[in-house]
Amino acid sequence: MVEKGKIDSTQAILLNITMIFATALLSVPAITATHARQDAWLSSLLATLLALPVAWLTAKLASLFPGKILIEYPEAILGRWAGKILGLLYLLWFIQICSIMVREFGDFMVNAFIPETPIVVVNIIAIAIAAYIITQGLEVMARVNQVFLPLILFSIVLIFVLATPEMDLRRLLPVWESGAMHIFKGALAPLAWYGEISTFAMIVPFLVRPGEARRIALISVVAVGLIFAFLVVGSLAVFGPGIAAMAYPVLNVTRVINIANVIERMDPFIVAVWITGGYIKIAFFYYVIVLGSARWLKLCDFRPLVLPVGVILAALSIMAGDNSLEIFHFIGDVWPFYALFTFEFAIPLGLLVIALFTGRGKDKP
Amino acid sequence: MILFKKPRRPKGTNSRAKDQNPAGGNRETTEQPVQNLLLSTDIESNLKQLKGIFKNCSDVVFREFLFAQREQIKLALVYTDGLVDKTLVSEQIMKALALNVPMATDNMEITRNNALHYVKMRGLCVHQVQETGKIQDVVDAVLSGDTVLMVDGHAIALINGSRGWEARSVADSITETVVRGPRESFVETLRINTSMLRRKIKNPNLKIETLKLGEVTKTELALVYIKGIVNEGLVHEVKDRLSRIKIDGVLESGYIEELIRDHPYSPFATMAHTDRPDRVAANLLEGRVAILVDGTPVALTVPYLFIEAIQTPDDYYEQFLFASAIRVLRVIFLVIALTLPSLYIAIISFHPEMLPTPLLMSIAAQREAVPFPVFVEAFFMEVAFEIIREAGIRLPRPVGQAVSIVAALIIGQAAVQAGLVAGATIIVVALTAMASFTVYYSGSITLRLLRFPLMFLSASLGLLGLISGIVIIVVHLAGMRSFGVPYLAPVAPTIQGDLKDSAVRLPWWSMRRRPHLIGQNDQRREIPGLKPEPPRPGRR
Amino acid sequence: MIKKICSLVLVVLLVLQGGCWGRKELGQLAIVMAAGVDRAPGGDIRLTVQLARPRAFGGGVERPSGAQENNAWVISENGETVLDAQRNLEKRVSRSIYWGHNVILVFGEELAREGIRQAFNFFTRSPTARETLWVMVARGKAEDVLNSHSQLENTSAQSAGSMLRMRVGEPVMLKDLSMMLASKGTNPALPRVELTASGRPQGPGMVENIPQGYKGAQQPPVGTHAEITLTGTGIFKDDKLVGWLNVRETRGLLWLKDEIKRGVVTVPSPVEPGKKISINITRGNTRVEAFFDGESVWFDVWMKMEGTLWEQQSKEKLTNPVIYKAIEKAMSREIENIARGALNKAQLEYGVDIFGFGEAFHRKYKREWASMQNRWNEVFAGAQVNIAVEGRIRRTGLTTNRLSEPQ
Repeated sequence: MVEKGKIDSTQAILLNITMIFATALLSVPAITATHARQDAWLSSLLATLLALPVAWLTAKLASLFPGKILIEYPEAILGRWAGKILGLLYLLWFIQICSIMVREFGDFMVNAFIPETPIVVVNIIAIAIAAYIITQGLEVMARVNQVFLPLILFSIVLIFVLATPEMDLRRLLPVWESGAMHIFKGALAPLAWYGEISTFAMIVPFLVRPGEARRIALISVVAVGLIFAFLVVGSLAVFGPGIAAMAYPVLNVTRVINIANVIERMDPFIVAVWITGGYIKIAFFYYVIVLGSARWLKLCDFRPLVLPVGVILAALSIMAGDNSLEIFHFIGDVWPFYALFTFEFAIPLGLLVIALFTGRGKDKP
Repeated sequence: MILFKKPRRPKGTNSRAKDQNPAGGNRETTEQPVQNLLLSTDIESNLKQLKGIFKNCSDVVFREFLFAQREQIKLALVYTDGLVDKTLVSEQIMKALALNVPMATDNMEITRNNALHYVKMRGLCVHQVQETGKIQDVVDAVLSGDTVLMVDGHAIALINGSRGWEARSVADSITETVVRGPRESFVETLRINTSMLRRKIKNPNLKIETLKLGEVTKTELALVYIKGIVNEGLVHEVKDRLSRIKIDGVLESGYIEELIRDHPYSPFATMAHTDRPDRVAANLLEGRVAILVDGTPVALTVPYLFIEAIQTPDDYYEQFLFASAIRVLRVIFLVIALTLPSLYIAIISFHPEMLPTPLLMSIAAQREAVPFPVFVEAFFMEVAFEIIREAGIRLPRPVGQAVSIVAALIIGQAAVQAGLVAGATIIVVALTAMASFTVYYSGSITLRLLRFPLMFLSASLGLLGLISGIVIIVVHLAGMRSFGVPYLAPVAPTIQGDLKDSAVRLPWWSMRRRPHLIGQNDQRREIPGLKPEPPRPGRR
Repeated sequence: MIKKICSLVLVVLLVLQGGCWGRKELGQLAIVMAAGVDRAPGGDIRLTVQLARPRAFGGGVERPSGAQENNAWVISENGETVLDAQRNLEKRVSRSIYWGHNVILVFGEELAREGIRQAFNFFTRSPTARETLWVMVARGKAEDVLNSHSQLENTSAQSAGSMLRMRVGEPVMLKDLSMMLASKGTNPALPRVELTASGRPQGPGMVENIPQGYKGAQQPPVGTHAEITLTGTGIFKDDKLVGWLNVRETRGLLWLKDEIKRGVVTVPSPVEPGKKISINITRGNTRVEAFFDGESVWFDVWMKMEGTLWEQQSKEKLTNPVIYKAIEKAMSREIENIARGALNKAQLEYGVDIFGFGEAFHRKYKREWASMQNRWNEVFAGAQVNIAVEGRIRRTGLTTNRLSEPQ
């Protein structure tokens, strides 16, 4: 057994929320608003609905192959060679998204927080802390998340409570101006984020009750969807469709808070709280990579892989793009299609269909 | 004000009888190993043996006298001067044997053969008498303050409980004071300490197992738990860890703590230390195990959770709303004590946009004259504070006043007036210092220790460094266990029932269960429906 | 173990290195309190900054008594862009210029007439400058306005900021300006500031030169102290300044935008001609609804204003319902007049929608808006606006009728 710890269902839900939400918080509201303008909140709700099948699919596959993790399903379904190759592709995909995540995090830090620090320093620190978290194991990661996620959610609620004087719900009007097509386009970016729930299949065997995987996946997606819709509504109420031009709209909401000239200028605090979420999200994907690699290579411990994978991630995070604009372009215009139509939805769907037709996997429903 | 009196060994405890024979090394002055030697029937040879063992121990007294009857039987008392209750030895043993007993016997013939039995059954007016045939037991007994009586012609010695040495009387707790609640604290004598626990928990299930540790010091330890509540596995684990210890001496419970704790490198304590009997009793009732060590008022309890750093005994005695409010404040103080200087450094040198403009102006004006970067300034002030604190503990009491005045004047005023330090820095350092004393003492040491690396981190990376440091600390804490219990419970992993007694304390009638991970054996603390309310029609 | 120590040392080195990049120790910062942007000859931007001098602020450290020091240092520099000008400024300022506490941003009149888009992007993009800084437009040169002191506040910038925070002018933050510029349904309106003679200087070295040369500016007597004063509102068409509203019209603008309700309305006494009654408006609510019948656009505006009667020159009995009804009526009429004044100026004189009526129209007629948004200002100029005001006097302070009159 590569991982000995077990996490309970609540911990899994919280971990899933952080895993999706920590970076969705940054630029996704802006991407959504680019297409749907003041209807962005509709897009985010639509995305939640569309993400439910993805979550269901993930849990379904997991229930067919108990004790196995995502990258081992292909092997069980397609046979040894094809399965190994697909598993490897999954691993590479995780490495890619993890490095982009690190890059996005670093860009955010440098853009908004510590402008003169080289991004490589920020990235290395993030990866080092994530490495420390994962050497402690999944259980500890879940516990750390239990400490910080409530703080993050509290910070979000706090922001929007304090920003109510700046809000004007009329900015959400008129509804349905942009039309269904634009709302759907706007939904793609959050959907790609919610689709990261498929990564949950990598840790299903380590649940105390793996039978609850479906419930966990669905609850996680709905929870993230609601939180995210709340964010979008709040940002729109403060700035209107203008959030489309902002890099990090929620941060801008934080910056305009001013209560009685005393409660103001608290954005560095809030960002500091978000950083913890970023660390946990990076740690989660990092963990998935080393765990998956260890299982793929049939090692008995994943810890020797932590350092080499960390080096790869750090290097890739720098090479991911020349500047932050390229990253914005990627996560805004390329990523949704790329992610959804390969690893998040299309491939799992294909695997499930084949599994059901060939009758592989555990008892059918 | 410390009053001295002679504590008596309480009756009814019979713990020494089942002493584990400690794996004693052979450091006595005799040439043969002592532990296996048996007493002989010849009192002279026994005395010779013992005198050889206690050679040059001027405090060990050998008192030989005759038990006069028709046959003259030689008796010998061996005890350590200073450790025994002298009145008891002279009145209840010597006088009884030498004067009272022989006269009181009418028809009985006391011969050499039945002398021992007779002495034990009729002669001694001592509350506790034991027989032994081993020299080792005799030696141990003498050194523990008991009086050994040997009767000629018998290979058995009688050990009379006569412990009574000069000890500090029970006084107020110094390290943990409370406004409401018992004042008493443990003292240096193990028996008095166990008696305090026994007085609080009058139940045969309160088990006090004694064992001896320290090959030279032979310090007595008491392992205390409540059978039926405690998790048996925990008791075994503690015993197992204790049994591995082989060390020359145990002078304080700190020795034990470092030898059996989890995560020996961690700056965070994984065992609670307290000198308050009520705290120990409360912990025992929750299913914890306490380790009391002779010679120190500080008892250890395990498992110890992080949350205990903000819990004090009087939280449970005060009204729960007040207690909860204070606890929430203590959480804030804990954060302040850990992070305030680092936050100050981070804000001043990386994020001045966080301050409201007038405040920024005021701080900027103060800092204009200061020649150092804020990190250096805050660092030196923290060090200065540590100097004052350390001096305050070490210095002889009469000069305390003088030092505190000098410290306050020099650090507080002169430094600001000379423009070496900004006033704001002093406020920050002072606030931090005060906040750090509101948390449990051993916790405050940890906080002080961690403050410096955090200051360093925020001086180099601002809030990013600070939050990274905090994440590292939390990851470290989340990975820790104290005797099998996750250190951050009940927060992470979240145990909903136990959150009733965490950053808040709910009323007693709502805390129906013992801590989930500690009192597993018997979860029920009280019956449901204890909430006081007016009788309702139809209710009974 | 050695490996562990080595990696620890590496991490420490990495972190230490970080210290050299991001740090901006408070003592190394030149804190900008106010920024002014003017048009320099030759198409350049002239950036003026008012830098705080913390040394002069006191703050615990005893100051040598007597001499009053200047709290701010005002310095200007030209450049092709704002950032370029800032770069040039840094050659003259020994500390690094720090925007995190910039309170106000003032556009010079000349630059504002050419368009402010060219000058304010820097402030939204820079992570240190706040979105909450107050934006205003100067009558004349921004540079002159910044070159001033405040008697009550530390700097004149804070003084101007406080006045806007107290809502005596049209309060526009940087984020509001961005939103107004982004929206086609409204045009920006910025508070107008200028220097006016305000009492006598308090101490040596505090005499200011009030810039002269435009109408209305008082000729300053020698040794006059000047303060930044809010004197109305600048009206913009998209990003170009087209005209002004005076103080009275500004109040109408604020009421119509439903932004600020406070203000004082003075009406003639219904009984004694020539005597006045003043009502302090405390609460209010404005609702705008757009109508479109396929050809013409019109707006219905409902204003509900409540106030306290706080001054009465005449001596009529207020407890008489007939009297106070009459006062309320006069109050409503006056409010309508004030609002109408602003509206007329915007519609007839400048043809610019600064009230956000376009957004009200957009919210209701989202399909028609698509064809109308690019010529909205013309549509607005021709639209009819019906104003219905309901004025109410809720309280009369501590007296009912006049205390000084025999009953």
